[in-house]
Amino acid sequence: MSSRGGKQKKGNVTSEQEEEEQPLQAVLVADSFNRRFFPISKDQPRALLPLGNVAMIDYTLEFLTSTGVQETFVFCCWMSNKIKDHLLKSKWCRPTSPNVVHIITSDLYRSLGDVLRDVDAKNLVRNDFILVYGDVVSNIDVSQALQEHRHRRKVDKNISVMTMVFKESSPGHKSRCEEDDVIVAMDSKSKRFSMGTDEFEIRHDLLDCHISICSPQVAELFTDNFDYQTRNDFVRGILVNEEILGNQIHLYVTQDGYGARVSNLQMYDSVSSDMVRRWVYPLTPEANFTDQQGQGCTHSRHNVYRGAEVSLGHGSQMEENVLIGRDTSIGANCHISNSVIGNNCTIGDNVVLDRAHMWNNVHISSNVEIHQSVVCDGAVVKEAVHLNKQCVLAYNVVIGPNLSLPDGTVVSMHHPEEEEEDDDDEFLSDDQEVGHSKDKTRQKAFNPAEVGPEGKGYIWKASMNDTEDEELAQCLWGLVLNPDPESDSESEASEESQDRTFQLEVLGTLQRGLEENIVCDNLVLEINSLKYAYNITLKEVMQILTRVVLEYPFQQQGTQLTTLQYTGSLLPLLKTWSPVFKNYIKRAQDHLDCLSAVEELFLEQDTHQTAMVKVLMKMYQLEILEEEAILKWFSTGATNDKSRQLRKNQGKQRMSLQRKESEEDESSEEGE
Amino acid sequence: MELQAVLMAAGGGSRMMDLTYNTRKPLLPVGNKPLIWYPLNLLERVGFEEVIVITTKEVQKMISTDPKMKLDVKMKLDIVCIQEDADMGTADALRHIQQKIKTDILVVSCDLITDAALHEVVDLFRAHNATLSMLMSKAHEFTETVPGQKGKKKTGEQRDFVGVDGTGKRLLFMANEADLDKGLVIRKSIMRKLPRMHIKTGLVDAHLYCLKKSVVDFLADNKSVSSIRGELVPYLVRKQFSKSMTSPNVNDEADQKLKKKDGNANLEIQILSRDEVLLQLTRERSCWNDHRGDMSEAYHGVRLRCYVHIMDEGMCYRVNTLAAYIEANRLAPKLFDEPAVHPSAAISVRCLIGADSIIGASCQISDKASIKRSMIGASTTVREKVKVTNSIIMHGVTIEEGCNIQGSVICSNTVIGRGADIKYCLVGSAQRIEPEGAFWKTPSRLSCAFY
Repeated sequence: MSSRGGKQKKGNVTSEQEEEEQPLQAVLVADSFNRRFFPISKDQPRALLPLGNVAMIDYTLEFLTSTGVQETFVFCCWMSNKIKDHLLKSKWCRPTSPNVVHIITSDLYRSLGDVLRDVDAKNLVRNDFILVYGDVVSNIDVSQALQEHRHRRKVDKNISVMTMVFKESSPGHKSRCEEDDVIVAMDSKSKRFSMGTDEFEIRHDLLDCHISICSPQVAELFTDNFDYQTRNDFVRGILVNEEILGNQIHLYVTQDGYGARVSNLQMYDSVSSDMVRRWVYPLTPEANFTDQQGQGCTHSRHNVYRGAEVSLGHGSQMEENVLIGRDTSIGANCHISNSVIGNNCTIGDNVVLDRAHMWNNVHISSNVEIHQSVVCDGAVVKEAVHLNKQCVLAYNVVIGPNLSLPDGTVVSMHHPEEEEEDDDDEFLSDDQEVGHSKDKTRQKAFNPAEVGPEGKGYIWKASMNDTEDEELAQCLWGLVLNPDPESDSESEASEESQDRTFQLEVLGTLQRGLEENIVCDNLVLEINSLKYAYNITLKEVMQILTRVVLEYPFQQQGTQLTTLQYTGSLLPLLKTWSPVFKNYIKRAQDHLDCLSAVEELFLEQDTHQTAMVKVLMKMYQLEILEEEAILKWFSTGATNDKSRQLRKNQGKQRMSLQRKESEEDESSEEGE
Repeated sequence: MELQAVLMAAGGGSRMMDLTYNTRKPLLPVGNKPLIWYPLNLLERVGFEEVIVITTKEVQKMISTDPKMKLDVKMKLDIVCIQEDADMGTADALRHIQQKIKTDILVVSCDLITDAALHEVVDLFRAHNATLSMLMSKAHEFTETVPGQKGKKKTGEQRDFVGVDGTGKRLLFMANEADLDKGLVIRKSIMRKLPRMHIKTGLVDAHLYCLKKSVVDFLADNKSVSSIRGELVPYLVRKQFSKSMTSPNVNDEADQKLKKKDGNANLEIQILSRDEVLLQLTRERSCWNDHRGDMSEAYHGVRLRCYVHIMDEGMCYRVNTLAAYIEANRLAPKLFDEPAVHPSAAISVRCLIGADSIIGASCQISDKASIKRSMIGASTTVREKVKVTNSIIMHGVTIEEGCNIQGSVICSNTVIGRGADIKYCLVGSAQRIEPEGAFWKTPSRLSCAFY
């Protein structure tokens, strides 16, 4: 790029250089294809929401223009008219604009994929282009990334299809979006997304700026694969198929510069405060880069910006990081900090504003307190209203007087049920056509308990009929993710559950065997195959089998069984399944294992301990267990106090029974 | 005394049985010195005055009696013998000598040949008050042909994945390929604390560890750990980020006593490096921090820290396979500057000895012999017109006239008959090779036939 001019003079214009001569293009997607800003975005598309009193799309266009983009395609879907009107009025559509903006609208776009397929169909891009959303605020100089991208494409013909721009920022930084928490595996040398080479790096300190430099193939790849809906689908698809298709994705990491996507209100809050704190320099509030009449303001220390004709009452303080739009009047004894106030607002006396985002034409009466909340255009807050954290007052809502809204309250003029009716077309966009159901809305009365005696508006709740993945989308302020529990025994847990599922399977098998009268040999076969499926050792099989059989009466008839009922139902079962047992209990060790499993179970079921003798007796009679094994088990030291006690209780009775049955005096003497 | 050195020299050399059949691994000659000399020398160079050597009776006897095995080290050797058939792991051995250990320890394996700067490892240990610091090196390709092996054997061992932080010093993660059936699993809590992790493969663990004394105490309490490399190190690396290590109330004295009572819990607690009070205070008052980004205290309050020094250059070999043994023999002479030809060797004027060969004590080399890139052990006799190239000849070997030996390893006390032609073979000890015999690189282990 740098040598472009010199080479041209030499008349050495190759075709590649000619390509570079073509204007840099950008695709700006001015639709979010989700509902994160509902209900605010019911009245205004997200791209036009004001951030620092300037519509977000203006920041994106300014960013593109400053990086040298000469042709921008703005794709809008819903509320395209509003976006179009806004753009036509703005400086971008003046004849002097260095960046030619084409507005392409269609109601059919449902995702980023649709937009890029349309780009391909209309054959709009001829060269590498920048793909960006209409809600990205950035001052990153991507020309370096662009150069690297072009270089890579020159070296390896068309292998690299995309270069994503990332900004370094440690986990926990407030401009990191919790939902967009990326972990990247990259090759540090080639800056490529990869794993599996000898050395790679796993990074969690990168922030996805949602700015990507794409080759023209990207549009084609989207056309080829209709599964690609979002950029994430695309990246994943490319990485998974890297070996087959040979396409690679690279990344560009910048240390300085600012880049963030306003993807929820949490991000709105942090980007807005970063803006006021001048992190996005040169895009600052007083710069008036949109070049509109009356937008200018003055910047004084502690980052206090005042628009034209701002009047401030006696004793009011603008502490720090405050931006006040033109023609706004503020009463006496107000405390304002870390807030943005739009144009034509009126604020009464004794008002406290902290981290408040007030848009245009807002009326705040006296004695109001607002913390970390968004108040949209035309809203009216009556006297002595207290807005707690993360409240949202959507367009034209009236609140109060004398009311305190709890944390996270969202008030809108749209009734929540309205949305459900609109849902019929399954059109999941922010920018959804609102049915002209105003009459209907009017009929529903406002609830004074919710919005105050003179209030207008409905409490907006997450609609209940949404599917589970929409659960995320309903929270305006973004997620509060709980940190993952730091457990040491992840693997153990999974093994445990394997045993558990195996146990359930065995239970199912036996149950079926009983119901359908299956031959025991077949049961053994089934259990054997389960053993392999769950990778269970023979010893465990036996223990689990014993357990399942002994618990079977409880399973079937509940745990309230008396000991007599229990033995009554268990003993026939043992008889039926004795071939199964015999198949697994062969060696002397098996006998002992089986016995210990029996013991363990009766230790848990301590009310039925007396049944143990009978069970052992039956097992002995059925020749499942050998006498020597039982005696050996009895004589070996008990593992803990409880089992010792159990054995003691059982021992005498068992021995006497044993004696009667076995008629072998010497063996019983051994036992004593 | 800051560190006590412990040398592990009881290993059997199970991966090179052909060589260790007659000579124990620590005594295998490398550059005419027993292998054990190299780690001892390494320790001596950095100024250790005393070393605890854990070995078997047999090796001890050889060291003390056999003049060929004499270790010319000035350090005081405290030799501890363990039962050879007890099948003790390295951690078991440490447990065995727990009584002797008064300070933090430096554990070295007897098969390490390196010119690494040991202070790098120890400095990490000191600077970060680490529980463990270890040495690793880039793996080397073995260039020499290995006798008795057909073609170049691919290293069948599975790769180790080692995760270090952005500075490349802190050891965060360690896993063997064999254990990664579900892919690389790294906990997000680690990533949150240390957002950059380099995953490296192709590293050799030098088996050189600095360990806190508390780790030895932990071993004494926890009998199930038997090997340092196999169990202890992965355990320590993992433990860095488990909750009990970071919870602040562990320095609560009462709490500690409570935990000691309930069995297992105290095992974990004891391994903590208990930062001294002053050190703690220094850290609190200091503006130094080991990470950037979040505002939490240095090391995120992690009290158990593992570090690794990865050598970029220099040599680092573990002589545990035949290939490594041959490679070490080729490179070992470069490590010390002693005359290549021992003064007591009787060498004919009319023989040819390459500069890269070493001749041991009281050797006899006759006329017209030619020796290139080889090592000749002590008391070996090489007769007329013998050609030895790229070979290792151990002690007391007799090579009769006109033999041609190439790329082979000849073990001690073997007699090679006149005119024998041996190429790429491994000949066991005390063998007799018939005159005029010709042995070429055979697919099977030729050496076995001679035992």
